[in-house]
Amino acid sequence: MHEFNWGLLIVVYLFLGGLSAGLFFAAGLANYLEVDGQPAYPRVARMGALLAPWPVAIGSALLILDLGNWWRFYKLFVHFRWESPMSIGSYLLMLFTGIAFVYAFAWLPEDWRQRLFSKVPPTWKQVHRLNVDISAHRKLIAMVGFPFSIGVGIYTGVLLGAVSARPFWNTNLVAQMFLFSALSSGAAALLLAMVLDKREPIQTHETKFLITLDIVFIVLELFIILPYIIHGQLSVLAVKQALWLILGGPYTVVFWVFFLGLGLLVPLGIEVSELAPSLFKGKAFHGDRRLALVASSLVLLGGFLLRYIFVYAGQVSSFHRMGMLQ
Amino acid sequence: MAMKKKRYALVLDSRKCINCKACVVACKAENQVPVGNTRNWINEARQGEYPKLRIDFEPEQCHHCEHPSCARVCPTGATWMRKDGIVLVNYDDCIGCRYCMVACPYDARYFHEESGTVHKCTLCSHRVDKGDLPACVETCPSKVRVFGDLEDPTSRVHELLATRRYRVKEPQTGNGPQLYYLL
Repeated sequence: MHEFNWGLLIVVYLFLGGLSAGLFFAAGLANYLEVDGQPAYPRVARMGALLAPWPVAIGSALLILDLGNWWRFYKLFVHFRWESPMSIGSYLLMLFTGIAFVYAFAWLPEDWRQRLFSKVPPTWKQVHRLNVDISAHRKLIAMVGFPFSIGVGIYTGVLLGAVSARPFWNTNLVAQMFLFSALSSGAAALLLAMVLDKREPIQTHETKFLITLDIVFIVLELFIILPYIIHGQLSVLAVKQALWLILGGPYTVVFWVFFLGLGLLVPLGIEVSELAPSLFKGKAFHGDRRLALVASSLVLLGGFLLRYIFVYAGQVSSFHRMGMLQ
Repeated sequence: MAMKKKRYALVLDSRKCINCKACVVACKAENQVPVGNTRNWINEARQGEYPKLRIDFEPEQCHHCEHPSCARVCPTGATWMRKDGIVLVNYDDCIGCRYCMVACPYDARYFHEESGTVHKCTLCSHRVDKGDLPACVETCPSKVRVFGDLEDPTSRVHELLATRRYRVKEPQTGNGPQLYYLL
């Protein structure tokens, strides 16, 4: 039986990396939107900014722990190999994490910042010099961070897509698929966090914004997944055989029922049914809290399962082993 | 005098293979390959049913590709190709990310648990540099394996590839594999 060289830690990392990218993107976007000269979604922007750095930081830690020699991870940063997606990705990931933390710092409320620095010993003067208000530069930091967040979202797909030995991955659609899945997970995670925040209940216009954003990303993701399957079926034998893994093979149920059905179409259905009356019939948007909770949780489940299916099925696919599998 | 360019390769006359696995054992002994891992192996292909049937044995190992995808994806450059075409892993630079294992179309690599690094066939570069043959080549009782320098017109591998029909495995991966199977 084929051994899996990459396991669950890689799946979790790919998911968390994408999640951070999506959170940063949604938060940055919310920061830019204004109504009558006033920020339209300041609470969405703050929540997203404060959440964004953590998943990728945890994910990177998992990635390092997955190495055979985790203490050698520094070697990633003493070499630069432009041909290796992982090398480019390591730098991208490090820069993005840094920017995301700076952006979170820019959104830190004044009293939180003071409390944070009160924990630092007063003799550490250099650290206390960092206790500055950079909230005026939020837009600039968000603008600098956008390309990096998109880059991280794409990179998680390119890492797999660049492997020519695995026909399941090696198509030019995987990068976009992972990107849109990441952006949609980010919007959903933001919605989930806002709904769960009991101290400041989510407002209707915020729910509407996040649901709209998520619908756009899910639809884009669907537009990538369908051609992925159709093109694959029309492609060379190795790709067709690789697709058998989700078209009759061991990953069929998890792909069609749990990922595409539960993780994509059901939340899309919920969100569209929430949004459509206000969009087409001019009715007021209600934004049911429980429906938002269900939809956003399912989107996150779908984002995780997409990575799970790709990491595992991709490693099974190959130019010479498929015959044995069938 | 400038050094002449070298390109080491293996030519395999797999019809002579009797599946004795002496090459596998010799490699394990020579390179201290852990139990459960192999640097070379023998594929079996059965066809037909009794009494009309045949079985083919085909030794395989790292193909020491012309354009090795393992070396391309390695984030630290630990996997590299010598000027004579032997693809090696610098164990000091290997961080154990296993991207090369995922990227190898021939699944020719294994994870060495003890050192946390990735190992593979070295074409016995330590022996070749002394002028000896790789262990698997030296031990093969039915003379399946021919090792040599493709750039040397007087070599046996050069002669075999010039005069015999041969194939390489999965050339469509674009890796340019350098294990030549005689037909």
